[in-house]
Amino acid sequence: MKQPSKEMWVSAQDLRNDPELLAAANREFPETSIVEDLGKEGTMDRLESSRRDFLKFLGFSLGAATVAASCEIPVKKAIPYVIKPDSIVPGVASYYASAYVDGGDFLPVLVKTREGRPIKIEGNAISPMTGGGTSARAQASVLSLYDTNRLQSAGKVENGQVAAMSWDDLDKEVKASLTKGGAIRLLSRTVISPSAQAAIAAFSAKYPNTSWIQYDPISCSALLDAQEMSYGVRALPSYHFDAAEVIVSFDADFLGTWISPVEYARAYSTGRKVKNTKSVRMSRHYQVESFMSMTGSNADHRIMVKPSEQGAAIAALYNAVASANGAATINAPALNDKAKKAMTRVAADLMKAAGKGLVVCGVNNLAEQVLVAKINALLGNDGTTVTQNDNSFQRQGSDKNLTGLINEMNSGAVGTLIVLDGNPAFDHAQSEAFRKAMAKVGTRIACAGTLEETGALSTHVAPTTHLLESWGDAYPKKGQFYLIQPTIAPLFPVRQWELSLLVWAESAELDNTSDQPYYEFVKKNWERSVYPSQSGGKSFNSFWESSLHDGMLLVSSAPSAGSNSADVSSVASGLTRPSDGEEIQFFESINMGAGQFAGNPWLQELSDPITRCVWGNYLFVPIGWDGGNDYTFFKGLEDGDRVNLEINGISRTVTIVHQFGLMPGTYAIALGYGRQTVGKAGRDIGTNVQDFLTVNKNGYASSYAVAPVVSGKVGRDKEFACVQHHHTMGVTGADPKTGKTINVDEKTVATIGEGYQGSLVDRSIIFRGNLAELDQLEEKIHEKREEFQNLNDKTLYPSYDDVYAMGHHWGMHIDLNACIGCSACTVACMAENNVPVVGKKEVFRHHEMSWLRIDRYFYGELENPNVVYQPMMCQHCDNAPCENVCPVSATNHSSEGLNQMAYNRCIGTRYCANNCPYKVRRFNWLDYTTADLFPANEPRLNGEEMPFGADNLTRMVLNPDVTVRSRGVMEKCSFCVQRIQEGKLTAKREGRILRDGDVKSACMTACPTDAITFGDLNNKESQLNKDLESPLVYQVLEEVNTRPSVNYRARVLNRDESLES
Amino acid sequence: MHAPVAPVREPLIEGHKSYHNITEDLCAPTEKAPSLAWIIAFIVSVGTMTFGLFCLAWTVWFGIGSWNLNRTIGWGYDITNFVWWIGIGHAGTLISAVLLLFRQKWRTGVNRAAEAMTIFAVICAGLFPATHTGRPWFDFFMFPYPNTRGPLWVNFNSPLLWDLFAISTYFTVSLLFWYTGLVPDFATVRDRAVGFRKKMYNVLSFGWTGSAKHWQRWEALSLVLAGLATPLVLSVHTIVSFDFATSVIPGWHTTIFPPYFVAGAIFSGFAMVQTLMIITRKILNLQQYITINHIESMNKVILLTGTIVGVAYLTELFIAWYSGYLYEQFAFFNRATGIYWWAYFGMMACNVLSPQIFWVKKYRRSIYIAFLMSIFVNIGMWFERFVIIATTLARDYLPSSWSYYTPTWVEIGIYLGTLGIFFTLYLLFTRLAPVVAVAEVKHILKSAGDQYIGERTKGSQGSEAIHESAH
Repeated sequence: MKQPSKEMWVSAQDLRNDPELLAAANREFPETSIVEDLGKEGTMDRLESSRRDFLKFLGFSLGAATVAASCEIPVKKAIPYVIKPDSIVPGVASYYASAYVDGGDFLPVLVKTREGRPIKIEGNAISPMTGGGTSARAQASVLSLYDTNRLQSAGKVENGQVAAMSWDDLDKEVKASLTKGGAIRLLSRTVISPSAQAAIAAFSAKYPNTSWIQYDPISCSALLDAQEMSYGVRALPSYHFDAAEVIVSFDADFLGTWISPVEYARAYSTGRKVKNTKSVRMSRHYQVESFMSMTGSNADHRIMVKPSEQGAAIAALYNAVASANGAATINAPALNDKAKKAMTRVAADLMKAAGKGLVVCGVNNLAEQVLVAKINALLGNDGTTVTQNDNSFQRQGSDKNLTGLINEMNSGAVGTLIVLDGNPAFDHAQSEAFRKAMAKVGTRIACAGTLEETGALSTHVAPTTHLLESWGDAYPKKGQFYLIQPTIAPLFPVRQWELSLLVWAESAELDNTSDQPYYEFVKKNWERSVYPSQSGGKSFNSFWESSLHDGMLLVSSAPSAGSNSADVSSVASGLTRPSDGEEIQFFESINMGAGQFAGNPWLQELSDPITRCVWGNYLFVPIGWDGGNDYTFFKGLEDGDRVNLEINGISRTVTIVHQFGLMPGTYAIALGYGRQTVGKAGRDIGTNVQDFLTVNKNGYASSYAVAPVVSGKVGRDKEFACVQHHHTMGVTGADPKTGKTINVDEKTVATIGEGYQGSLVDRSIIFRGNLAELDQLEEKIHEKREEFQNLNDKTLYPSYDDVYAMGHHWGMHIDLNACIGCSACTVACMAENNVPVVGKKEVFRHHEMSWLRIDRYFYGELENPNVVYQPMMCQHCDNAPCENVCPVSATNHSSEGLNQMAYNRCIGTRYCANNCPYKVRRFNWLDYTTADLFPANEPRLNGEEMPFGADNLTRMVLNPDVTVRSRGVMEKCSFCVQRIQEGKLTAKREGRILRDGDVKSACMTACPTDAITFGDLNNKESQLNKDLESPLVYQVLEEVNTRPSVNYRARVLNRDESLES
Repeated sequence: MHAPVAPVREPLIEGHKSYHNITEDLCAPTEKAPSLAWIIAFIVSVGTMTFGLFCLAWTVWFGIGSWNLNRTIGWGYDITNFVWWIGIGHAGTLISAVLLLFRQKWRTGVNRAAEAMTIFAVICAGLFPATHTGRPWFDFFMFPYPNTRGPLWVNFNSPLLWDLFAISTYFTVSLLFWYTGLVPDFATVRDRAVGFRKKMYNVLSFGWTGSAKHWQRWEALSLVLAGLATPLVLSVHTIVSFDFATSVIPGWHTTIFPPYFVAGAIFSGFAMVQTLMIITRKILNLQQYITINHIESMNKVILLTGTIVGVAYLTELFIAWYSGYLYEQFAFFNRATGIYWWAYFGMMACNVLSPQIFWVKKYRRSIYIAFLMSIFVNIGMWFERFVIIATTLARDYLPSSWSYYTPTWVEIGIYLGTLGIFFTLYLLFTRLAPVVAVAEVKHILKSAGDQYIGERTKGSQGSEAIHESAH
């Protein structure tokens, strides 16, 4: 190539005619195509991009970004019915009669379903047992159906992990084990289902080396044995609290947890309601206990004894009654002086009301139960308040049989153990021994619906259906048959244990061709054993249809007095001797039971009625006052401090909470917490105190322990979650300076110096009085209300009363005497209104969302106060302070007197909540319902992977009639506006006016004691207006002139004031 | 501003300043390179501001749950800081408008900085109501704009809505007033500047030529704006106090709140002006324009308003007792002796007791005491708002709902952040505009300059510094 002359050049290479440069310059399109380049070795490292590549990249990036971005959009499935099922009208709820059964706990219920999903439990009002009342547990049971931790198939368990297997394989393996020899043992909690018993019988017939043991986690063994000894039948008597004028309970929490609390609470409340002030009858309730139980909190008098003194107290009462009735007295153990004096008054009261008294006892001690039965017999209460022949079967377990089973297991004689129901590796006094004995059994099958402690120690799990997916029946009381029907097809391939037993028994009665073989079995069983007892002359099919429709069949079973044939002197030696030292009582809480509800967030977040703490069990320690400006705290500890609790060498760290009404020298803590093998929401919540339980020398599970050692502070629960910080409304003590009785809480309320008298009790929040001075209470309420109304009339503003007098005006009445604090309404409200669960930390920060809370105030003597419960929800004020302060009118008043929330309009200034005197407004501080698109602000419960309600399974529990609120929005009680709307629409469709009772709020229907009445204030005939006629009705903070629509009826006790002296 | 001045008045401009001296002295800070102190202060301020904005973003992203407010106490640091900043923002308008109408010449030394401070404080204040909402992206619901939702109107009964109008009006008028005052001064700076700065100030000064017609219009506008702004001094904090006074919560529902809040606002505003001016005059070497006489005048206002506030506190206590209304009595008893007793104590000590020191002339004229007291008052007034908001809510009607409140780091961060925003803006302001109103100071030179009236008083009152700089 010729050297060209250079006048211009652009680089050194150019100047010296670099050949590479020249070659490049001569090529018009220097880039090789990307395909060629890719074929060459190493070109991928330095890939250059052209315009076309750029377009490709652009296209790809855009596409990828689009795909990636669209992944984040939640897919909402709404699938229409191709052929609409006859029974389902979209948007209209269907109700099915069924029953809630948990071991021996029983409630007749109606299950509300929407588009095939059960979403709410209501009480079945036609049941003579409960009259439509419910419990918190029953209300919460619907959430357990949608528990993400449910076992989803049969499985084999190794090292606590479940490996799924098919039901056929499981059945094969189980049957092989059953036929291999070795004793077969079935273990369950109390089974009140006749069909289940028939299934067990069929199984036992196939495998004759079978025996079936029942136990009760919270044992009633001694009561049953005492019944057998006294009346010859090992079944519980019927207690009639409504017929009782004097009720004495020895440690029986009959309103909260004992045997059939809803039934008892309903009857109890009929004798406790005070409608007016003239010629009022009201029962008197004595509670003998060491710590304040829910039942004790409702008592007129609590007589405090140590747990070990219960025997002495019962013996003292027995001796007083026996000597007055000419019966033989027994050698009674020593009792503390105060209680001793009280017991003579109790005895006198009981004898005065002979035949109308009722003594119940929750202590698991044979001698004590025999004595109590004898006291009732001597007083002539048999046949009136305690009856036989209409026995209850709600507890059938036997501690001795359970001990026998454990011994048998230890001996290696048991080849196959099938745990049908319950969690025996955790939930009773011998659980540790049971766990050890399990290892000696070859094949261990657990039938629970979730993986529990027992399942983890088993060889196989045969998961059972949830109650709402099951067929079944129940026979809780003589003469009352109930049916359980499924309201949804099983969500997972699981099988109820009754059916599993029949399959393993290869029962001839099992119709394998049927879709629902157990349904056929129950039906056949009813045809055989229940149908003959009915007396309507119906055909079986119509009998079955009507029973299924009602959920029950009632046959008469006349109650009788029975004849008490027990020899008291022979058992008297079994009375517990009081110990000298400190003691600790273990009790069943209304939320957790024996731990079976640990995986249920609704119950975990339900505040304990007495302590108002959530998410855990807390050691109750006493609180005192030495006359100064502050309370005296146990060992100087603060609520929420952690201490070591040591009993018999076992040490556990527990969080303390100071508790009024706790016998000095005793402690108390709830059972059922601290579970480890449970859905994550319940894991390690609270402290496991199960291992502290013992079996006493007579073979009965004991509910207390002696000589607990409580250390000083070892740490602090940084998320001590208690929804109420101030607990009292006038607890009194003697001023050491003047000797006069003063309100201690008012003196101690100030942080520096002392508070002044009257600062709490003079607030118009709680009106209370004693039956003997009912006139004074009436006068006080009348006087105060007159003064308030006089003040309120002095206004410049126009009245809208004429507007509210038109159409409907919704209102409510709450009877503080009927409210027992059971919290069924609170859980019902959560279920009805999609109230989110926020978790322990958020409750600790006082971010709980409950629309309906039950405020609890202690009042009266500091050492042994009384309690008033006050359900508190939006008062739907007609002169609402929240409404006028909202800048965007997100909360406003309806023409029917409802205080409404327009969630979409709410921007969340929280001004309304500040200005609410009742503090009932709840703000969505974070994204509690996972309603936002981005998940950063959704709090996790107890470290779970997903926030509560984020998965589609849990969301199935949501009520489609109620908006799910997003974060940053205020919410509160709506008076169940969706129910009002439904009622109005139904009336309109039927072409009639709305009748009283057409609309009932969720809290009203849930209440076991009918404490809440909802209705139309403009309907003069309504029950609400009848209730409001009482002179004891008042409005909370009436002088603020908020004009609330909720009215309360004063709290009245029937105290014997001479008892204190 | 040429009203005759009694010769007994002390000079307001010292150092025998000529008009040219004034221009040189007051324009200098905008023309020199920033000092090291300014640079450090600016870095710290911007850093704090950045952290505050981060905390705000955190709040919007995670929700108000990142604050420690709860079901009982719905407002805490947010509204406390809002009211605090709004209060601080009061002095500017008062000094500019009310003192202008009252022909108080000493205002010329401090009005420019005070007005700037007002604007920056209102910006800081406005952040809180805007971001304390649960869904700030819907804040526009608060504006009564035509819409297709019905139309859905705002709730004119709500004090929060009144707040929105009051504050936006106040901000607008304050900004106009401040800028109007700046126009001739920007022109002065423009005339001395070259290059980009000349262009910038040319735009900012709206082509001001200094013609007689300009001055005439300028004076008229100033007077009209002063007339508009004067009622705002009373209205803004009155309306802020309505947030509380119209509620039903004992401790909030108080008829004394409007005058009490206005006095408190002027009190805290003057304290903040004092804090800033004492630092500014030192650093920018403006002792001859912002003299000890100015400081003393401000201290007198602080003493007066502090005492009014003290009387208000005592009146509240008296009325609570006298009302015979249990909830009111408890609310005030609780403020003094309850869980937040320390906040009440801090408020009383800082706001009522400590300003009483200014009865003594020696202390009124002490720069160190004046500075210390201004800080005290700022703290005390913060406590006052905290006491009113958190203490009241923590213990209201139902004892079952009583709760406690301590802020999270996010809330503290936002508060610090607003301090950062405030100082960042103020520091920029000192670099961009004359901190003392050049034109207005020139107006009073003949009637308040020491060379004209000072001969009689200088010997007896002049400090060492004045002697030095006079030569």
